[in-house]
Amino acid sequence: MKKICALVLTLCLALACLSMAAAEDKTYHVGVLQLVQHVALDAATQGFQDALTEKLGDKIVIDVKNASGESVNCTTIANDFVAANMDLIMANATPALQSAMAATADIPILGTSITDYATALDMDDWTGVTGVNISGTSDLAPLDGQAAMLHELFPDAKTVGLVYCSAEPNSKYQVDEITKFLTELGYECKNYAFADSNDVASVVESACECDVLYIPTDNTAASYTETIANVVEPAGKAVIAGEEGICTGCGVATLTISYYDLGYATGEMAYEVLVNGADVAQMAIQYAPNFTKKYVAARADALELTIPEDYSAIE
Amino acid sequence: MDIAKLLNAFPGAVSQGIIWGLMAIGVYITYRILDVADLTVDGSMATGGAVAAVMITAGYNPWLAVIVAFLVGMLAGLVTGLFHTTMGIPAILAGILTQLALYSINLRIMDGKANTAVNVNKYHVLVTSRNVRQFSVSNPIILTLILTAVLIALLYFFFNTEYGCALRATGANGAMARAQGINTNVAKVIGLMLSNGIVAFSGAMLTQYQGFADVQMARGAIVIGLAAVIIGEVVFGKLLKSFAGKLVCVSLGAIIYYLVMQIVLWLGLNTNDLKMLTAIVVAIFLAVPHWKQQAQTRLHVRRKGGE
Repeated sequence: MKKICALVLTLCLALACLSMAAAEDKTYHVGVLQLVQHVALDAATQGFQDALTEKLGDKIVIDVKNASGESVNCTTIANDFVAANMDLIMANATPALQSAMAATADIPILGTSITDYATALDMDDWTGVTGVNISGTSDLAPLDGQAAMLHELFPDAKTVGLVYCSAEPNSKYQVDEITKFLTELGYECKNYAFADSNDVASVVESACECDVLYIPTDNTAASYTETIANVVEPAGKAVIAGEEGICTGCGVATLTISYYDLGYATGEMAYEVLVNGADVAQMAIQYAPNFTKKYVAARADALELTIPEDYSAIE
Repeated sequence: MDIAKLLNAFPGAVSQGIIWGLMAIGVYITYRILDVADLTVDGSMATGGAVAAVMITAGYNPWLAVIVAFLVGMLAGLVTGLFHTTMGIPAILAGILTQLALYSINLRIMDGKANTAVNVNKYHVLVTSRNVRQFSVSNPIILTLILTAVLIALLYFFFNTEYGCALRATGANGAMARAQGINTNVAKVIGLMLSNGIVAFSGAMLTQYQGFADVQMARGAIVIGLAAVIIGEVVFGKLLKSFAGKLVCVSLGAIIYYLVMQIVLWLGLNTNDLKMLTAIVVAIFLAVPHWKQQAQTRLHVRRKGGE
């Protein structure tokens, strides 16, 4: 019974402390809530920390907490940050942002590594700003840049085969968008959608009737790059990929975003909010500031492609 | 190290603990009453969350959503039960198989998306972590406490009916139960359905609380559920010995689990070590009853020797 009493008393004490807001410091306290240990997410967090440390030096205290892949832990960490009355929360990846959003309507939240805020936050009438205590950066692939890259490497090609998985709404969106850019550049685009592992080889086979292939950021395609490579390599066709993973598996070149830069841009937004008092509800979602052109040397050699110097080779 | 910050974090830990306490009560039914380690829960909790997220975002009443989540969770339990009883698959493997299948089913429920947001600004939800520090009826602690009390009352009533006793007999001594004319296979299936229904119900509440359903949201749920059962027994087992009391213990165990987690976070330990710390905490609580028993035996032997 004593233990129960103790627990109840602790609770009362906890509730009593609610009104006691933490004393205002001159230093800013920022909590970083990251979903999982992951190369890209780690890089974004690092960029965020570096940006704020460069600008604010020892006037900033950044508390990085990682949910270790359990989205449930995001809620626990978000609760910790809200209880500590952080000046700002940076949420790295979608469930992190959603937990932070559920946890507070007052503390400014900046997201990063989020592809589409309208979907992640389930918002209608998307205008580029959230209107609530949330803003941030998006890791959406630069489709116009990818179209330009295809044009740079294959100026003489006539037709482009767009290969994607029909079960992925995101891929369809990317394919539709890049078709606009490619058509402007004078290419004829054809869609080649596959359903699953059973028909991916035959669909890619028929796509090889085009001069060049393009595969967007597609999770299913990313899982079958071996299968795709086994078709396109003997056929002597080049694949421009939406992201580095697919490019490594079956592509020749890609234009990818740098998650470090994305995190850095998020850090600069945080500076605006913390120091200059920018209203996070009215801050537009920012996209990756610059992109990295990458290529796979072995395939470029096999296709006898001359890769411009500003491309870096994928190891 | 600001103690006020820790205390300020306690309401959140408590309400999260109560929600997981519901789930742990489901685990208690299989683990303690039926004597089966059911791993379906890692899938069925996410199923409950997925059903709730899809229904709430489609505009259905959240109460209806949690009830449907409960029913769908029961279906998951039915599948595990049938795997186990009619196909003769060992219970632990049957649970793993269902859990595996549920990953795909959960994706289907969420229309192929791995994550579905439930925007608290947009939909009416029963509980949200946002209100956890408010002095009002919308504080999630109040509703979840009421739901826990109702659930425990219902289970208390059910397990005192004739069939409830048959279920308990099945777990306590299967051979004896069969000798009494109890169909233990049917009893196991019913128990698994009930357990997974409760777990899915908890998942539905958790989805609203955290603002999203994720196909991976219940990864490792069984560990938290078992931890809650065991922590509750170790800390409060002596105080609350009745059946209802034991269920209260389980709920309290889940609350303690989350309070410990919150303290660990507050201490500022590297969160990369979080999983290891969880394992250590659970291992210690598992070991305590064993050590106690050993110490008592030794004491007993020494006393006897002295006579």
